[in-house]
Amino acid sequence: MWTKETELELRKLVKDSGVKLLEENLVQGTWGNISVRLDEDHMLVTPTGLDYNHLQPEDMPIVQISDPSVWSDGKKPTSERKIHAAVLASRPEINACIHSHPVFATIMASCRMPLPAFTDELQEVMGGEVKVGAYGLPGTKKLKAGTVEAMQGRNACFMANHGVFCVGKTMEEAFNVLRVLERSVYQFIQNNTLKRTGAESYTDQLLFDQFIKQHKK
Amino acid sequence: MDNSVRTILEYAKELVKQKVTGAGDCISIKSGDCLYFSDKDVPLSELTEKNVIKMKPEEATGEYALHKKIYDAKEDISAICHCHPAWVAPIAECGIKIPSVADDMTQIVGRDCKTCKNDEKAIVKNLRKRNSTLVKGDGCITTGRTMNEASTCVLVLDKAAHCYVGSAVLKKNALINFFEATLMNVVYKMKYSKKNQENLQNEEGN
Repeated sequence: MWTKETELELRKLVKDSGVKLLEENLVQGTWGNISVRLDEDHMLVTPTGLDYNHLQPEDMPIVQISDPSVWSDGKKPTSERKIHAAVLASRPEINACIHSHPVFATIMASCRMPLPAFTDELQEVMGGEVKVGAYGLPGTKKLKAGTVEAMQGRNACFMANHGVFCVGKTMEEAFNVLRVLERSVYQFIQNNTLKRTGAESYTDQLLFDQFIKQHKK
Repeated sequence: MDNSVRTILEYAKELVKQKVTGAGDCISIKSGDCLYFSDKDVPLSELTEKNVIKMKPEEATGEYALHKKIYDAKEDISAICHCHPAWVAPIAECGIKIPSVADDMTQIVGRDCKTCKNDEKAIVKNLRKRNSTLVKGDGCITTGRTMNEASTCVLVLDKAAHCYVGSAVLKKNALINFFEATLMNVVYKMKYSKKNQENLQNEEGN
């Protein structure tokens, strides 16, 4: 069981983390959700469909990890709470989860392409190649199962045509996983663009030109 | 300050911050029997209270008349963003559509976003059944129940365009199928975003 003081602190942490996602351009609008463990069987999550800037700490519902249909306090929890619950249940060392849609990582997700651990940092922070979870509509068992499977032995995964799921022992660690993933995908795209075009240095214009070359009628 | 003026200034600032603006941007709000526009000749980054123009619909000409025609064609909307994000340009230049590359695009923008020629009739036609369109040589136009929704649509559209262009160098996109994309868009509009949009309508004064 947790103390009221801890709960208040964690409520504020979830609220601040939502705003941080927006400020760091790691999500657009209300998309994405965050959870933090309260104890072995309870977590605080962000509510469904509300803008992070308008959320208040007291809006975060408490959800039962062993049965995420059970929740109390706050507003209606995110429909992705089952993924958060499944990951927290299977990984006792994890205390914070972030599901988001940062732009570069979403490129990989939309290609359904895994990211090789091509740097020491990626190997260390992610635990190996970042896998892609099978596609499923938001809130479905299929999405949950795909994400949980792709998260095995990793601190992040891509969710096909959707976004990413990142975890950490602390919220700061989960944010670090998210930031490293986004930065690494950017580097991966730059490397591939240079390889394909034969250019010496990367600019977005290289991508524009390559796209137009492939698609112009 | 009038709520609609405040909203236009607030979202102009946000669009600039998110780097989805360019020459010729114009955003507008419909409030009661009046329309509010950002001055099309003033960059959104330099917009001040005196550059927000209030007018009766029948007074609208040029870019403002285009917005008026879009409002006439789509009774459920209260905001329009005509912006020029960088990543939509190559797609519009090819005259193709952005397909269902990601869930957030599918939910907020729709199952795809087509390109039309830079012509009033073509733009209104493209927007009849969709909330956004790419315009060849002139950025994109998005609509929303609130300015929050229309501006979020610009951001998500730019991101989807970025995904689509970016994936060209990696491999072919794996697309969301038609049925799932349509379903997600309907659920977003009718259920997921409804409460948030109702709250925002009151705040924005439309």
